Amino acid sequence: MVLNQFLLLAAALFCIGVYGVLARRNGVMVLMSVELILNAVNINLVAFAAFTNSIAGEVFALFVIAIAAAEVGVGLAIVLLIYRNRKSIDLTEVDLLKG
Amino acid sequence: MIAQVLAQAFESPTIDYHALAPEIVLVSFAALLILLDVVLLEKGRTFISALAGIGLLATMLPILTLAIDGTDRVMFGGAYVVDDFSLVMKAMFVLSGYVVVLLSTNYIAEGDYWENEYYGLLLASLTGMVMISSARDLISIFVALELLSIPVYMMATWRKRDIRSNEAGLKYYLMGVFASAVMLYGMSMLYGTAGSTLLVDIGEAVGGEETTSIVTLAVIFTIIGFAFKVSAVPFHYWAPDTYEGAPTPVTAYLSVASKAAGFVALLQLVMVGFYARDDVYEPVLWILAAASMTVGNLLALRQENVVRMMAYSGVAQAGFMLAPLAVAGKIGDDAVVATVTYLLIYAAMNLGAFAVIIALARKTGSATLDSFNGAFHYAPGLTVVMTMFLFSLAGIPPFGGWFAKFAVLAALIDANTAAGVVLAVVAAVNSVIALYYYGGLARRMWAEEAPDGDLTPVRVPVSLVAALGLAAGLTLLFGVFPNLVSEVSDVSLISTLGG
Amino acid sequence: MSSWPWLQSGRIGDPQTPSLGSLAVSDFLRSYLTVAIFGAVALLLAGGILSLGRLIRPSHGNAEKLLTYESGVDPTGDMWSQSNIRYYVFALLFVMFDVEAVFLFPWATRLEAYGVFGLVEMGIFILILLLGLVYAWRKGMLRWV
Repeated sequence: MVLNQFLLLAAALFCIGVYGVLARRNGVMVLMSVELILNAVNINLVAFAAFTNSIAGEVFALFVIAIAAAEVGVGLAIVLLIYRNRKSIDLTEVDLLKG
Repeated sequence: MIAQVLAQAFESPTIDYHALAPEIVLVSFAALLILLDVVLLEKGRTFISALAGIGLLATMLPILTLAIDGTDRVMFGGAYVVDDFSLVMKAMFVLSGYVVVLLSTNYIAEGDYWENEYYGLLLASLTGMVMISSARDLISIFVALELLSIPVYMMATWRKRDIRSNEAGLKYYLMGVFASAVMLYGMSMLYGTAGSTLLVDIGEAVGGEETTSIVTLAVIFTIIGFAFKVSAVPFHYWAPDTYEGAPTPVTAYLSVASKAAGFVALLQLVMVGFYARDDVYEPVLWILAAASMTVGNLLALRQENVVRMMAYSGVAQAGFMLAPLAVAGKIGDDAVVATVTYLLIYAAMNLGAFAVIIALARKTGSATLDSFNGAFHYAPGLTVVMTMFLFSLAGIPPFGGWFAKFAVLAALIDANTAAGVVLAVVAAVNSVIALYYYGGLARRMWAEEAPDGDLTPVRVPVSLVAALGLAAGLTLLFGVFPNLVSEVSDVSLISTLGG
Repeated sequence: MSSWPWLQSGRIGDPQTPSLGSLAVSDFLRSYLTVAIFGAVALLLAGGILSLGRLIRPSHGNAEKLLTYESGVDPTGDMWSQSNIRYYVFALLFVMFDVEAVFLFPWATRLEAYGVFGLVEMGIFILILLLGLVYAWRKGMLRWV
């Protein structure tokens, strides 16, 4: 199998994810975009692991999956808290603190 | 491939329990705090912060015995290293964690917040920091980074019903997660180039004759991920908002420990992993350092809120800490020494400044610059120590800060390149700009009249006094006897790995 | 791109062993051609039959007929229904333990080889996880109020 295809797929996913994080205004959608980036990373890692015959990449991917779940748990809790306090998860409305 | 791995006989790794003792003690105490919370529920509130403090002091013991022993310990095939560098950083993290516990004791207890979990999370986060100082492998760096970040996302949101605290947490969370995702993408390419996650192997694979585009991309992505963590311009915009909205002790923790953890990982990656590719990382870090110093200081000038001012000043200070890395390829381990020196002194003076802000806010209940007017008339002691911390941050002798700035400038000039000298000039100009707003705050405290002529004294609890004493003592000590710092910060990353 | 020689060769894995891991670019694309043809045939078949039916069948639509079929009961409310917030905690707990189980599988496949060392390590791991579950239980997260 060819490595390039996997890398291109990962790069495409990465770009979609970055676009989503920057352009989306819905808190949950931004979280999903971050997940896309993490999946791009996983594809990269597993493809490289298969290519270089070292298992480290697959172990890395497992850690990424497990930790991403913990991250999303915290993230959803925060989004929920915002929803409870202001009945909206539109990120443009979260602007009390101006930088 | 999996069949190959399965065919190998498993040898259980030899574990050096002495080297891992700090982590084991910290994790045990974090678990103990949660266990006590589960068993006692609200009854545990009275002693849980004291127990967290004891846990941190207990962690110092194995760090000290390891320091006295002095041998470099390499575990897990080079993935986990306990050497001088990691011990100095571990001690710094644990001590600043202790100061944060002291700062939090009354703040969290009086605010009707969930208390037991707070300290459990704090210890978990500190475990991540203690781990990251030893991690010399992409996987352990990543796991340690997330272990230290995820609890802080929750701590920043700790005032559940306060929309501003929610917002602070959300901004920090989104930036943090995005940054770590970008960093991971860079790391996956590093792994692809080297076929190994060990930093030493990556150092060999990356340091070829020519610069390949994939390595450039990987290095830049990884550095950008950490630039978010240390709040370097242009990746700083979460910092002021998060600092303002989060509970102030958490802000102190973020601005010192969390930032330092980002630097520790960055130092290890640059000095061990990317070292030979100085044509890639030096320009990136140069731009980050110069932009952080300048933009941070200029924006700090026009802040109305002390915490926001400290946030931008923290951005500028991060620029100073990045500066030696921008010439790391020329001066080698001297860059590590300069950055570590700066980190140690910065930790003491910044925690001290936040301790005063917390103490004064107990009376004024606000963090605007105006609320500091005339503090000398009702809180002369606090005003004196705050002036000391501010002058130290500005780099005026005999307080610690001058030696930090001196170490950085000396490292930049030692590099003997045009880039280094220009950066040194930028740094010097910025020190002068910084003097203006640090001095302005000090002037308000001494010269202005207190608002409404309210001169009731501030009641400062014992734990805050202890934190102030610790920070002030260290700031003064570092300034008067800079040998002490240089003795401790004389560490190296390159030699321990034979790179 | 000299440090990436395999980008030119376009192969992953050991070329000596004939397996899926050593298909050349053209083989790889050819196997995708089969997939493409299969997909096109499926689309044509399904689309053809459906449009044929549309041509032949009579069409007398009314409001009753256009209703969404919901087990014979009149459908109520919006298409988007909000699920109860309480599911969130359970979903979260499930995801946590589900994902942490990822680490159990590699260990379980080599249980005997890892011996006592592996058992103790995994015991500590599971204990810490259990602590989280006990926490959720004591704080009343598992109760359906």
